[in-house]
Amino acid sequence: MEAECPICGSPVELPDDVMAGELLECPSCGATLEVYEQDGTFLLREAEEIGEDWGE
Amino acid sequence: MMVVKVGGRTLGNIPLIARDLVGHQPFVLVHGGGDLVTEYSKRMGVEPRIVTSPSGIRSRYTDERELEVFVMVLAGKVNKEIVSSLIDLGVGAIGISGVDGPTLIAERKRRIIVVERGRRRIIPGGYTGRIEEVRTDHLRLLLDSGYNVVMAPLARGTQGEMLNVDGDQAASRLSSALKPDYLIMLSDVEGVILDGELVSRLTPEEAEELAVRLGAGMNRKLMMAADVARSGVRVVISSGLVDEPITEALNGAGTHVIPS
Repeated sequence: MEAECPICGSPVELPDDVMAGELLECPSCGATLEVYEQDGTFLLREAEEIGEDWGE
Repeated sequence: MMVVKVGGRTLGNIPLIARDLVGHQPFVLVHGGGDLVTEYSKRMGVEPRIVTSPSGIRSRYTDERELEVFVMVLAGKVNKEIVSSLIDLGVGAIGISGVDGPTLIAERKRRIIVVERGRRRIIPGGYTGRIEEVRTDHLRLLLDSGYNVVMAPLARGTQGEMLNVDGDQAASRLSSALKPDYLIMLSDVEGVILDGELVSRLTPEEAEELAVRLGAGMNRKLMMAADVARSGVRVVISSGLVDEPITEALNGAGTHVIPS
């Protein structure tokens, strides 16, 4: 299963058991991409910055 | 005046902690109790979900049902049992949560990154929050009237929702706002242990440097301690499982983070 990198247009391999919200790295341009689901198809968008914090 | 954080794993020692606090008034005691929330969640058929951050920090994921148990157990049972123990000893105590007043105002974490099956994933943030504002007017009113305050780590969200907040963060932010003489963080360890030895004294800068070398749990405690010490408050991280935890901490036990 593949999806297109929205930054550089290269194909990005998706794991067979991919889930919405999963973060992948484009092997071509290195962008961090978020998997989302639309009408039963998994697509990629640029992942927003989410800082890690130490809250419970 | 002092702020004392009583970690969930030291709650079993509340009778001795309360007895020791008789001689150290006024105080604001912030308590944990996550393990009890887990126990009651299971009893009520709500299975707790633990998530792991990309850097390996494991934490509870609070969905709507879990939040209900949180409020019942922390702001109810745990908070009132501590208040009751103090009143038994003649200590005037009022139990509140950060929602009351409100005292703690938090921003809900909209989305968080977790690691599942070894892969990173973004999920909704649940009912947890990061404390953005501390209002001390109600606390000062109580303290000035001779009452000590026992606080459950819940906050009012900016959208009016109730949020679960980290107890260490609550105690730290309260300390930075209230400027007590001491923040004493009691847990089930003696203090910061490095290469098998207790580290007894640190500056905020040293604490931050050391934090990156420590495991999850103590590292964030030490980062928060450094922040509080920078605001001029002396912080002690020490054991809550000894006979006189507060007195021993004030007499030099544990790890002291000293304002520079």
